[in-house]
Amino acid sequence: MRRAHLLLIPALLVLLALPVSRGRYNDDFDDGEDIADFDDNDFAEFEDMNDDPAAEAETAPPPRASPSSQPEEEEDEDEATVELDDGLDGFEDSETQDQDIYSKYDQEEFEVTGDMEKPGHSMKDPLIIHTVPAHLQNSWESYYMEILMVTGLLAYIMNYLIGKNKNSRLAQAWFNSHRELLESNFALVGDDGTSKDAVSTGKLNQENEHIYNLWCSGRVCCEGMLIQLKFLKRQDLLNVLARMMRPAGDQVQIKVTLNEDDMDTFVFAVGTKKTMAKLQKEMQDLSEFCGDKPKSGAKYGLPDSLSILSEMGEVTDGVMDNKMVHYITNHAEKIESIHFSDQFSGPKVMQEEGQPLKLPETKKTLLFTFNVPGKGNPSPKDMDSLLPLMNMVIYSIDKVKKLRLNREGKMKADRNRARVEENFLKQTHAQRQEAAQTRREEKKRAEKERIMNEEDPERQRRLEEAAQRRDQKKIEKKQMKMKQIKVKAM
Amino acid sequence: MSFNNMSDPRRQTKILRYKAPSTDTNPTLEDPTPDYMNLLGMIFSMCGLMLKLKWCAWIAVYCSFISFANSRSSEDTKQMMSSFMLSISAVVMSYLQNPQPMSPPW
Repeated sequence: MRRAHLLLIPALLVLLALPVSRGRYNDDFDDGEDIADFDDNDFAEFEDMNDDPAAEAETAPPPRASPSSQPEEEEDEDEATVELDDGLDGFEDSETQDQDIYSKYDQEEFEVTGDMEKPGHSMKDPLIIHTVPAHLQNSWESYYMEILMVTGLLAYIMNYLIGKNKNSRLAQAWFNSHRELLESNFALVGDDGTSKDAVSTGKLNQENEHIYNLWCSGRVCCEGMLIQLKFLKRQDLLNVLARMMRPAGDQVQIKVTLNEDDMDTFVFAVGTKKTMAKLQKEMQDLSEFCGDKPKSGAKYGLPDSLSILSEMGEVTDGVMDNKMVHYITNHAEKIESIHFSDQFSGPKVMQEEGQPLKLPETKKTLLFTFNVPGKGNPSPKDMDSLLPLMNMVIYSIDKVKKLRLNREGKMKADRNRARVEENFLKQTHAQRQEAAQTRREEKKRAEKERIMNEEDPERQRRLEEAAQRRDQKKIEKKQMKMKQIKVKAM
Repeated sequence: MSFNNMSDPRRQTKILRYKAPSTDTNPTLEDPTPDYMNLLGMIFSMCGLMLKLKWCAWIAVYCSFISFANSRSSEDTKQMMSSFMLSISAVVMSYLQNPQPMSPPW
């Protein structure tokens, strides 16, 4: 295809040159009209009766395909006249004829040439220089869109490498500053679940280019602790651009799972106002057990920016002891939310077929969400400032183990849980009934099939009879129940 | 922060292995970006190949890059590579069939 382009340019040049040279041939033919008899040049047959006064008198065959220029033509004319003079000397008869004609032509030419020269040239040789269309140009400039695209891709790749590097450095910095504390508290620090033996890997588990996990286990008072470093997607250029509109920050999420006897029954949360409102709507346990709106933390000495969601006042008093308040007040800007719950089951699950048939699985959990300081652009040193918060986490684990509600509180808590369960059962009553009905029908069908498949007619009969008796008994039982209810009602 | 310095809180016997949280229980926690981008990339590259649209092919390349950047490390690299190759082949084929430069839509 490129060769085609290369051929086009000389072709275009040839095309441009042709009208010029054709003009000269015409001039030649005009003159040759009379000389045709005498001059047996190749162009005799092309002679034309051309009265155009702008026709130049040229007897000599003009140079072919050469760009015409005025001085050259004038020279030819001069030459022509000189030649004529020479020619006329030879022949007398034709000479006069020729002379007349030629003088006529010469005069006309000399008269008119001066005026007509320039327009003649412009009429004869209209040199309109068109610009070559972009798609025929053989230059890189026409591919500017492609170059833009490739530049964009390169920018994306550069950002990917830089972002990935930054996230990795931040994660490593965090781990280096927290390693000692974790290793002194947990027997197993770092596990990806794949190795055969429970040996500490001693390093973070990279889930993504922006999420790092660390699993710690082997401690009193808890089953294990999962730490998730949720960084911003610095490796994705689109995300970087989106963040310029909507600033966000890196987060560290810690989830401590506890054994049954590690925690008493209570639900409690403290955090920023916005987060508390969001959690109360989203979280299953907070929405069920902490019905009241979040209260300001000022009553307990916390800064105004934080609010508290609690099952009952006693829980708040129990959790918010001096040390806790001290921790939270000192690092209030880094705390997003702290959530202690014995009924934790995650966020509310929206199911298509209405309510789920079973109560969701609950687990005794402590959840912490911390914001990394630096507002989206932290330095590795900022990771050190999160160390006191990890101390707070460890302290909370020990504290929750020791925290016990008094008798009243325990009764209230138990009542709450019973209430929640009842509500749930009521809501799903209809569905559970339906499910039970279908199960019963399934069983009957299976039994009938068994009887049918039974080959021995004796056994068949016996099984049928047994089934009939069972049905009869059920009907009798139901009738008894109805009678009892009727009696009670009366 | 002083623990009871006499006792070490670590317990070798209480070690529990890490179990990756299953995605069935938490469908909201998963980021759908890499999957969507993968799908988009494939659609655009097919459009670019079939309809000979250069800009489709370029967008497909971008989509597959974005999908790769957002992907989880546990994800199959074969999927990523196949999406890359498909989008690059769409670009190359568009230019082989029609080497004229792409014209902007405005």
